[in-house]
Amino acid sequence: MNEIGGKIMKRYLFLVVLLVSISVLLSGQVMSQVLPAGLPRNETFIVDQIYRYSTAQNFNIWVPGAGEQPVRQGLVSDSLWYVDQQTGKWINSLAKEPPKYNKDFTEMTVKFRNNIYWSDGVKFTADDFVFTVQTLIETPGMQWNSELSTYVKEVDKIDDFTALIKLKEPNPRFHYYFTVRWNGVYMMPKHVWEKVKDPLKFTFWPPVSLGAYVIKDADPQGYWEIFERRDDWKRTTAGIITGKPGPKYILQIYYGPDEKKVAAMTQHNLDLLMDLDIEAFQALLKRDPYARSWYKDFPWVWPDELDSRIFCLNNEKFPFTLKDVRWALVLALDIVKLNTQYVNGVSKVNPIPEPPVPFLAKYYHKPLKSWLKSFKLEVDKGVYFKPFDDTIPQKIAEWAKSQGYTVSGTPEDVFGIGWWKYAPDIAEKLLLKNGFKRDKNGKWLLPDGKPWKISIVAAPDEVDAFRLAIGASDQWKKFGIDVTVEALERDPYYTKVQIGDYDISSSWSDGCSACAANAMIDKWQYIQGLHSNYYVPSGQRALTGNCLRIKDKKLDQIIDEMGSLSPNDPKALTLGREFMKLWVENMYGIVTHGFKKFVTVDTYYWTNYPSFENPYSQPNYWFMGGRFTYHYVEPTGRK
Amino acid sequence: MENFVRYIILRIFQTLIVIFIGVTIVFFVPRLTPMDPVAGTINRINAYSPMDPKAVEKLVDTLKDLYGLKGNLLEQYIRFWTRLIKGDLGPSLAMFPTPVVDVINKALPWTIGLLVTSTIIAWLLGIILGTVVGYSPNKKWAQVISIIITCIYPVPYYIIALILVFIFAYIFPIFPLMGGTSIGLRPSFSFHFLFSLIEHGFLPAISLIIGTTCFIFMTQRALISSLTSSDFINFAEIAGLPHKKIRSYLIRNSMLPQITDLALSLGSIFGGALMTEFVFSYPGIGQILYSAILQADFNLIMGISIFSIIGVAFAALILDLIYPLLDPRIRYK
Repeated sequence: MNEIGGKIMKRYLFLVVLLVSISVLLSGQVMSQVLPAGLPRNETFIVDQIYRYSTAQNFNIWVPGAGEQPVRQGLVSDSLWYVDQQTGKWINSLAKEPPKYNKDFTEMTVKFRNNIYWSDGVKFTADDFVFTVQTLIETPGMQWNSELSTYVKEVDKIDDFTALIKLKEPNPRFHYYFTVRWNGVYMMPKHVWEKVKDPLKFTFWPPVSLGAYVIKDADPQGYWEIFERRDDWKRTTAGIITGKPGPKYILQIYYGPDEKKVAAMTQHNLDLLMDLDIEAFQALLKRDPYARSWYKDFPWVWPDELDSRIFCLNNEKFPFTLKDVRWALVLALDIVKLNTQYVNGVSKVNPIPEPPVPFLAKYYHKPLKSWLKSFKLEVDKGVYFKPFDDTIPQKIAEWAKSQGYTVSGTPEDVFGIGWWKYAPDIAEKLLLKNGFKRDKNGKWLLPDGKPWKISIVAAPDEVDAFRLAIGASDQWKKFGIDVTVEALERDPYYTKVQIGDYDISSSWSDGCSACAANAMIDKWQYIQGLHSNYYVPSGQRALTGNCLRIKDKKLDQIIDEMGSLSPNDPKALTLGREFMKLWVENMYGIVTHGFKKFVTVDTYYWTNYPSFENPYSQPNYWFMGGRFTYHYVEPTGRK
Repeated sequence: MENFVRYIILRIFQTLIVIFIGVTIVFFVPRLTPMDPVAGTINRINAYSPMDPKAVEKLVDTLKDLYGLKGNLLEQYIRFWTRLIKGDLGPSLAMFPTPVVDVINKALPWTIGLLVTSTIIAWLLGIILGTVVGYSPNKKWAQVISIIITCIYPVPYYIIALILVFIFAYIFPIFPLMGGTSIGLRPSFSFHFLFSLIEHGFLPAISLIIGTTCFIFMTQRALISSLTSSDFINFAEIAGLPHKKIRSYLIRNSMLPQITDLALSLGSIFGGALMTEFVFSYPGIGQILYSAILQADFNLIMGISIFSIIGVAFAALILDLIYPLLDPRIRYK
């Protein structure tokens, strides 16, 4: 028996020795050699690929689900106009000037730049534009097919660099389809696509580029993609507009979970990442002295993504049908605690459905502050209560100081203009007024005497939304409501919210489109879906951003009037503010915070990325407008 | 011989029925949930820019048509079988119009490479260690091995995976953090490529091997322990048979459940190793299936499931056919 054991153990030992030898051998291949041969580190900007691409070697970005992926769509393709999401600056890209409409908004004329070339040397002209619009109209299933076929009557080339679109009905915002926030109608190279028989199945790989970069290589498994700067980058819009070449190579890598991104950045194998949860970010700061986010100090984070956190209330489900109940839920929330204890004080509070970013705050939040302060709720007949509290930013700043943080800026700029008071006594009055009662344990009962139970649905991978759901649940429980949080994966979550199978959801613009915005004064694009024309009852999918199921004639009037105006008409801003006021009066949903992301840079190899001190351009590189930002980064000289 | 042929035909027929029922269940279950691939696509479009509400309805209609979701469930089911018989699994709905077969073909070799290798290594290691320790349970080294494995066994394998990443990719950056091979490397039979393949697959494989080895070790040790006290081993020892002969008896008699486990494990690899792929950012079918389920990609769920159902069904069939070869007491009836 010993003999057998001994022999087998010898073999086992051999295996162990073999494994150790392989490990030692592999130890020479450290990860600093992440780059393939021919890509010098000081010429390669490595960015975080925000997810694994499922269709890596397909560049048909016109088919939903096929080739449209972050970063690549900005580096390799182009559209007519952009709005920088940090500065709100209008950028004429392929178009050399803003669109021109006729008087009744039934014709739009576009003039193009005459010095832009595709990467194969062919000049971009109005022919490409006309071909793109016609192809999209003729191919159901392609992005923008539905929109363009709904509105476009005719598209014509006037000359090589001018095109005219005639519309089926007046539309002063038709150019929005060609104005990039996340994307805009991508131009097709006519000389390539005119030979294609089935535009839906064409992979367009490798793509002919209209951006300053071409795709050099891509992982068929979708973990990385390498872009190389074109030699003729000055013949692209990004090159012309920025006047700078940008890094020679851009490599995007999907490293996986946060801890691996932190590891990669600590090893200087990742220069820029999209987001981390706060714990991972703090771990990174401790280990990498070259890492930083938007602010150098607390709250570090980039707070200006154009979206907001909201507790969507199902306006069609009792008791959320009652305005007083909706307001009672607001006043039972302690926003200072919600902010500091559940999202670590790094998000801006936000009382209205408009992202609290500097550009928009100038037009909405700050001018509305005096109205918000004077706004009164009728608690009882003739008894009023002013719910707005503009000292909340100061309270959060004081909390931050008590934690030993240095706050980067004024409380209002960093933490928002204010929010609603924590007033459980007023909340109680509002509920009692509507027939609610407390039982002997202090728990709330509905007017029919049944216990008031609320479920909050939230997707845990949307970290802040989930944490806020937990926070609200804790606070409303303390107030006496029986609240549970239902954690769901994204798709079941979307399904529940869209079909109205929920009480409250911890959402963002997925639940209510009004929470988001472009960096433009005009709000119409984000509230048009709330019009009662598009209302669908619970049980059917709400796909136009109205999962709260608002149905309000006053709101319809605002949307209708706004829709008939040019977005540049000053009255559009007035109506936008009227919408905010209507929202507050009715409290359709509880907007709590602006969006934030720990967009983090490692400044070891590259510097001059946008920051609070130098906010020259949008730092959200994964949006199409990020294509300009890459050009401004500068090498530190380290090799 | 006649029995044998009849048995085989019957078993193949049973296998086909199992496959048919399995495929039918997988066809209907996702479609009976409220999940909707068309809404999924619109959500992805709406995620960053709201669509014009006027255009939404039109797009819903177009996508239903393109995705083959028009008509009632029975019509869809008939269309599905008509297509499947021709070997067409249809397009992926979330990656439309990429054919499901292309998606699977791209990911499956990584899963097969990783899981077949690690399953076989773990199985062999578990059998060897389990046999040695089970045969000499009172030896000090055997007790040490038993304690170590008993301690590791309850640790979930994704925890082991995280520990491996932390130690060998972060603290000591010996192994890469992501991918199946180095960036920019194309598949070839060069030493460089093979080395890179092993380098990237090493930690994922080790994380799987550790857990599976522990499981096989525990079962094998228990089997050997009970076998060593059985009459035929006692008799063999009293009769003075050589240890080699006794060992062969032991291993052969313990093999039946272990071969079953190996075959079913190999048959079920088409489900992938989701956690391993996720933790190591390693390519494979697991993440693809996971995304397909979350995005209600009915066709892709079907495609992967068909592979999985066929894999397990045929593993069971092959097992039934080879049992008599492993154990002469089993007969074809």
